[in-house]
Amino acid sequence: MEKELFNLKGVLQENRNQLLARTNVVATGIGFKASVGKKTPILSIICSVVQKLPSSKLSPREMIPSTIGGLPTDVVQTGRLRAFQSHTARYRPAPGGISIGHKDITAGTLGCLVKKGGEFFILSNNHVLANSNAAQVGDPILQPGPYDGGLIANDHIANLEAFVPISFTGGASGCSTARGVADFLNSVARVLGSDTRLRAITTQAEDNLVDAAIARPLNPADVKDEILEIGPLSGVGSGTLGMAIKKSGRTTGLTTGEIQQVDVTSTVQYGDNKTALFTDQLMAGAMSQGGDSGSAVLDTQNRLIGLLFAGSENSTIINRIEHVFSALGVSR
Amino acid sequence: MVGDKIMTPPIQDVKKKHEARLMSLPGVVSVGIGRDPQGNPAVIVGLDSPRSETQARIPPQLDGYPLLIQIVGPLKAQ
Repeated sequence: MEKELFNLKGVLQENRNQLLARTNVVATGIGFKASVGKKTPILSIICSVVQKLPSSKLSPREMIPSTIGGLPTDVVQTGRLRAFQSHTARYRPAPGGISIGHKDITAGTLGCLVKKGGEFFILSNNHVLANSNAAQVGDPILQPGPYDGGLIANDHIANLEAFVPISFTGGASGCSTARGVADFLNSVARVLGSDTRLRAITTQAEDNLVDAAIARPLNPADVKDEILEIGPLSGVGSGTLGMAIKKSGRTTGLTTGEIQQVDVTSTVQYGDNKTALFTDQLMAGAMSQGGDSGSAVLDTQNRLIGLLFAGSENSTIINRIEHVFSALGVSR
Repeated sequence: MVGDKIMTPPIQDVKKKHEARLMSLPGVVSVGIGRDPQGNPAVIVGLDSPRSETQARIPPQLDGYPLLIQIVGPLKAQ
């Protein structure tokens, strides 16, 4: 096999350029030939093409010979190859699917853009944009997030506009201190007549429906209404049992899955021994890791159906987008 | 039994009725509605790890619907 490989490499080197000169060929390499969809033990020169076409549709010049230098060839369809797109880099304009975070957190994912009062806002989780209730409305949001090197001086992309407080059940206090602080600050704001600073904080009952927040871009031209590796959204949908879904996130990029459970009630751990109970969630299999929080979840037609926020090694928990929209008063 | 089908309440109601009790069992992190391997609607209980005592307290059926146990692991904000 060693000797065969050596021979193949030589033949490939000699013929690579003339193979890649064909408009349809995007890559050449060495691998086992496949026959009728099955891998054979025959080593061959593999040409990756944008689209596999019948020989009748190809001019003799575009055709890949069945053997080159006495060695077999194989043609596989890979489509157009694109450079791997980093999800942790700085982007301007910034699309969905990339690193973002409040100045005091590590990093999460910029979900997508949503509309409120005719303006575009960045949608992600409370624990990404509002530091799990600890943030103040107006706080700086960085892209990329601090863990990915985001600095206030260079990477300040937006300000926290509003968040839905998470009602925590665990921890020593038994109830959320942050929420108490927010309530207190709200009452101070009322007394001071400052109606802007904290007005956008809405409340949710003990059972949480969403972990969601929005941020206002400093400049509308700094954000892009599409998702990295996916493209533009085509609308809004509703998650159902068995639905095929996908997301593009900071840590694991583009992944796909299926809604395996609906009407899910679950306890979710946050840092510092805090736990929150969520109801009416969607559950999918493994399709995310830490840092993917805030990813927009789409169906196969690119309709927005959810907001990813939690998971385990084999499960992913997703807020229904209907609840996210109504809690924040936003739309698409 | 035909009569049995008519008597069976919607799975959402069954899940709702038993949810608090199931969630209070040690190690239970989720209760949801999914499907069993045959494709029938089922209530699915998620555990943070294998727990024989809790598992022994979860019956195989709930008001006529299959009740499945899944080890989903601890669910964490990501």
